[in-house]
This record gives sequence, structure tokens and C-alpha cells, in this order.
Amino acid sequence: MAASVVDTYADPNMSWMNAPHSTGTSIMACEFDGGVVIGADSRTTTGAYIANRVTDKLTRITDHIYCCRSGSAADTQAIADIVTYHLNFHRMELGEPPLVQTAAAIFRELCYNYRDSLVAGILVAGWDKKKGGQIYSVPIGGMVQRQAVSIGGSGSSYVYGYVDANFKPNMSKEEAKKFVTNTLTLAMLRDGSSGGVVRLGVITETGVERLVILGDQLPKFYEG
Amino acid sequence: MSILAYNGGAVVAMKGKDCVAIATDKRYGIQAQTISANFPKVFQMGPTLYVGLPGLATDTQTVYQRLKFRMNLYELKENRIMRPNTFSAMLSNLLYERRFGPYFIEPVVAGLDPIDNKPYVCNMDLIGCPNEPEDFVVSGTCTDQLYGMCEALWEPNLSPDELFETISQALVNAADRDAISGWGAVVYIIEKDKITEKHVKTRMD
Repeated sequence: MAASVVDTYADPNMSWMNAPHSTGTSIMACEFDGGVVIGADSRTTTGAYIANRVTDKLTRITDHIYCCRSGSAADTQAIADIVTYHLNFHRMELGEPPLVQTAAAIFRELCYNYRDSLVAGILVAGWDKKKGGQIYSVPIGGMVQRQAVSIGGSGSSYVYGYVDANFKPNMSKEEAKKFVTNTLTLAMLRDGSSGGVVRLGVITETGVERLVILGDQLPKFYEG
Repeated sequence: MSILAYNGGAVVAMKGKDCVAIATDKRYGIQAQTISANFPKVFQMGPTLYVGLPGLATDTQTVYQRLKFRMNLYELKENRIMRPNTFSAMLSNLLYERRFGPYFIEPVVAGLDPIDNKPYVCNMDLIGCPNEPEDFVVSGTCTDQLYGMCEALWEPNLSPDELFETISQALVNAADRDAISGWGAVVYIIEKDKITEKHVKTRMD
């Protein structure tokens, strides 16, 4: 999540200064009938070294709103903390749980206004009683887009085809969990910056259910 | 970025009691993307002589072909099998010939001397400087991790079965902390009259 695959000391031209920031991660969110399923891999890399192989990239904003973080670990953690603070305050003024759209709007304010300083690709996902399960994608640059299914991070490039071919609206909870697990597994197979375990979150009216799928329990695909 | 880290990969070789082992990962990738999990970097050069060629994948193939060519000519002219230390010297010469435009390979040699059956391991930098230690050698993009694993796990006079366990654990756990190594592994245990080739199941991420 930190930087691209660069050896600082072996490169006298300092091309790591201009190297593209691969947001080394695979994250995903998917609507189903009754809520959303969110998922992420668990790898944090600094260059090619795996600094953390059990990272939790699914961060709580409120009991019913979570975000999937990709990009700079420092930037996304700081943004999530600020959004959590604002939403806490807003919740007290409102007297009821805040809307997912509101959380997304606060993420957008930060990611857009500080776009020159930040490297953050975030999926905001959750449940509220006005619109049910929702996903808002806030990529680098700070636009917002509501989507029924959304993928992000460097690993997502390898699975756009799989997602387009296999997503169906109004899936059951079990179908959605399987779909997210399969997609992330395929991304982790191909992307060097993604790997480890698959962490899932299922957000519904009753709250969130967290799951971990360990390496040996992941679905098996053709491994060429 | 470093050319030696463009494709990624890891090779390790260890000495045991009257045996040597050499192991490689199987990843073929381009920067962060993995293309295939069927590209081992270790090749058999003689009945008890193996060479590992991690680094830039195109040079892995070219150096292997050029090495095979030189070895064949040697064995035809001399009418005998090449010894491991001679092979290292030849490989060192091949690399130094390209001193100012080198092959991006940091090779590992492992074998049993055909005459006195002594175990031999050797590694080199990309311009052919040889290093012939008494214990183990490592090469690739996770050498830091490999040194740590080998230093902790290796001990002298391991039997072939123990050596297999040791070298497998060293390679697999080091590669699991490297984003551009892994995706399968092959281990060769070389004894006087038997070569064992084992494909180790690893994480595929």
C-alpha cells in the first residue's frame, strides 16, 4: 500500500520520485439483497518487502458504515480518522445513525480538496434505513460515484472481466460472499502487491459480521 | 527500478552430509504482475551438478544456453565430466567477459564433485565474483529474508531428508515475505547416486 516496487539505493536517477504509485492492494464491495459485502486482501508492501501480511484494510467508520482503503496507508488512515470524527459529531446532532451518502461526501471533501497531497483510493460501503445497502467509490482525485459493485487497488486491473461477467443484482448474502471471495482470490493470484488472507465484512440492518478466509481455504483456480 | 528486480525470483543452495540441495521458486512475472507459475530458475548441467540463474528472465535463458554450449565443448574435448569448481570458474569467466554490459544474473552453483564426492556450493555477483562458503548460498530478490532463514535453520551435517526440510522452509518462508518471489517451488536433493526432485506446494499470492 505504501509505494511501487522500487529499490531506492540501486537507482541513481531517482526515478522512484516519479514512479507511478501502484496502490498495492485488492479491495472490493458488492451490494446484495439486504446489505453490502466488502472485502480486501491483507498485504502491505514497502517496495517488494511485505511489511505486514495480515493487514486489516476494512476500517470502521460507524457501526453500519465501513471503508476499504487502498493507496498510501498513512493517508487513508488519517482520512478515515477525520471522517470518523466528523460523522460522530454529526450523529449526535442528528439523533439517528448517519447516511452512507453523508460519509461518502465527507470522504470526497477531503480527497478532492487535498488531492495534490494525497494518494488515496477508497470504497465507502454500508447500510442505512433510507437507501439500504450502498457503495460509493472515491478514487484518487476525489470524485464520488455510487455503484452496485466496485473494485479498487492495483489488483483490481486483473479482475474487471471476471466482475463484469459474474455480477448479478439482488444476489443472496451467500452468493455475494462467494463472489467477493472468488474475485479477490483471482486478484491476489496475479498481483504481486496483493496477497495474504481475504478479509470480509457483511453489513446489514443488524450491523456488521467480520470474516477471515485463510490462504489454504481460498478457492482453487487454474494456476498455470 | 533495479533491473535485477524486474522479474523477481529466489534461489538457495545448501550443503549437507555427503549431499547438496538447491531450490528455486517458480514465478515468472513482470514487475507486480504474475504471468506464469511455471518458470523455475534451476537447471541440471551434469549428473550431480546444478546451476540456479535468478535475475532478469531473458538473461536466465541466454546464460543457460551459452553455459550449456561451453560445457558441451569442454566435455567433448576433455572427454570427462566437468567438476563443480571448474564449472564455477567457467561461469565466472563468462560473466566477466561482459564486465561493462553484464548479464543481469546472480548465479548459484550446487553439486557433488564426481571424483571425491565432496559437496560444493558457490554464488556470484553479476560480473562473476565467486563466493565458495562452507554452509549455504542465496540469490534473488529476497536475499535479506533468505539469509535470515538460512542462518537460523542451517546446521552442518544434515542428512538428505533433514536438508530437504531445512532448505524448503528457508525458501518458502523467505519468499512469502517477498511480493515478487514465490508462486510454487522446486527442490533438488543431490546425492552420490540419486537425485530427488520435489515440487513444493506454496502460497500462490
